[in-house]
Amino acid sequence: MEMIGGDDTDTEMYGALVTAQSLRLRHLHHCRENQCTSVLVKYIQAPVHLVWSLVRRFDQPQKYKPFISRCTVNGDPEIGCLREVNVKSGLPATTSTERLEQLDDEEHILGINIIGGDHRLKNYSSILTVHPEMIDGRSGTMVMESFVVDVPQGNTKDDTCYFVESLIKCNLKSLACVSERLAAQDITNSIATFCNASNGYREKNHTETNL
Amino acid sequence: MADICYEDETSACESRPLWSSRKWRIGVQRFRMSPSEMNPTASTTEEEDKSEGIYNKRNKQEEYDFMNCASSSPSQSSPEEESVSLEDSDVSISDGNSSVNDVAVIPSKKTVKETDLRPRYGVASVCGRRRDMEDAVALHPSFVRKQTEFSRTRWHYFGVYDGHGCSHVAARCKERLHELVQEEALSDKKEEWKKMMERSFTRMDKEVVRWGETVMSANCRCELQTPDCDAVGSTAVVSVITPEKIIVANCGDSRAVLCRNGKAVPLSTDHKPDRPDELDRIQEAGGRVIYWDGARVLGVLAMSRAIGDNYLKPYVTSEPEVTVTDRTEEDEFLILATDGLWDVVTNEAACTMVRMCLNRKSGRGRRRGETQTPGRRSEEEGKEEEEKVVGSRKNGKRGEITDKACTEASVLLTKLALAKHSSDNVSVVVIDLRRRRKRHVA
Repeated sequence: MEMIGGDDTDTEMYGALVTAQSLRLRHLHHCRENQCTSVLVKYIQAPVHLVWSLVRRFDQPQKYKPFISRCTVNGDPEIGCLREVNVKSGLPATTSTERLEQLDDEEHILGINIIGGDHRLKNYSSILTVHPEMIDGRSGTMVMESFVVDVPQGNTKDDTCYFVESLIKCNLKSLACVSERLAAQDITNSIATFCNASNGYREKNHTETNL
Repeated sequence: MADICYEDETSACESRPLWSSRKWRIGVQRFRMSPSEMNPTASTTEEEDKSEGIYNKRNKQEEYDFMNCASSSPSQSSPEEESVSLEDSDVSISDGNSSVNDVAVIPSKKTVKETDLRPRYGVASVCGRRRDMEDAVALHPSFVRKQTEFSRTRWHYFGVYDGHGCSHVAARCKERLHELVQEEALSDKKEEWKKMMERSFTRMDKEVVRWGETVMSANCRCELQTPDCDAVGSTAVVSVITPEKIIVANCGDSRAVLCRNGKAVPLSTDHKPDRPDELDRIQEAGGRVIYWDGARVLGVLAMSRAIGDNYLKPYVTSEPEVTVTDRTEEDEFLILATDGLWDVVTNEAACTMVRMCLNRKSGRGRRRGETQTPGRRSEEEGKEEEEKVVGSRKNGKRGEITDKACTEASVLLTKLALAKHSSDNVSVVVIDLRRRRKRHVA
């Protein structure tokens, strides 16, 4: 926690310059004529390590993505490996094949390309980064997700962007819910541990009510 | 006894094999009817037992053919299932049925007297080519009983719910919506159906959202645990039948179709995002409809109203559209079905088919030739987790027998949908509305 707090002050010192430039560098996409691109940002009231622990699991996107029912990865989830994702009913897809392009645990960068599936997202490429951020005086996280994708025949750039942004917004909202719940559980657990040290009986009550 | 089954499918919906093995699963979930449904003369259990031998499952060859007729499954005549009953299906009993799951063929029954007090209906519900069964059906005859000095009337409730994202919202609707409608009906003296239904649906929607925050269904396949699972919803088409009226409340793209004097009369209008009034409503709320594999709200959901789907509010609303239709002598039957049927079968074709079934003088004997090998039977019995028979075949005490024709009609419609390559779950309820001369039996 202290470490993260330190990171936060660093970020604040560099200020907007860091966010504007170095972050943008990580979200560089080459956008061709028939493609569209966009960046979304979400602030989450949970520490970076927690958010990143969810995001980095290339083999378990269903842990936070609401539209995914199952995911299988053959072998270790390392750069270049593929995941086969099953999409929930009611959406304009049932499966999607995605490749892990980039996974940087130091810089907190995850890059994924969609290479197949029964949907209309062709040549889709996305980069997701997480950054420490002070939110309401507490250590929180800023998540940035950018993408570039072909505009399919019959749709405008605007439509395509709006659609993908809608999906990403849902994913990020869900990511926020899940991580904030996990963060709350962490706090509950530490309170419980504290109570346990002082009073074993009370601790039991705490865990039951709070979990 | 319907038991339509693609052999490899038997472990389908509820069990969880590796997804890869399920990926290309194409087939029909087994569904069943009770033996007595096949045996119109059955009035005793002995006769039912006897019928098992005759009305057995079809052979394997036939099972690969979706168009084949259903055949009986002996496992369904076990005593415990006899006890599962829709008799009296008032709310307390229907509660008992709430645990009964997805795929079911529920034979209906008719009484030999006071036919309007006991409706004749049939239902069939199949998983089809989908990976999961997310449809749910609720049948609650006599869910409201009204008694005055001179008469007693009963209202009957039928609901079809088509879940998306997961099955738990549809399952919750099946458990609760009729209770909410009942509460509203009992508290409303003026029978303002539109308001009653609107209140019921709103309450249902709120319960689904709130319930998602607290409890999760045991059968739920959602990876996301509460309360993060708000991208799940369900359609609801509900019909309440009173002696004078047919009330239909609809939310989503399931549909109710009345057959009146041979003509198909839709009693609900599908809530599609590109319906001009719905498009306006969504845009006024700040949402957008994008044509992405069909018209979809935000490019995501292909219907403009649903119960649940909290993440798409306010663009997707749970407010139902309600129609109240006076019953006439020309009314023949009502079909409630999910879009698994309506996507591939027109209203007219569905009515024609049901009409054929209901008007056939004697529908029995058709499935007699279909028998099931004993080995297949035991295999069947081991894999029963996802199909249950909800209805009772008959109740000797009350002198009721099942309504074979309605069940047969609903089964045929599901088969037609599958034969026409419906890719969705298919659920059909057929309710016979023809008034019968009252026959009093000693």
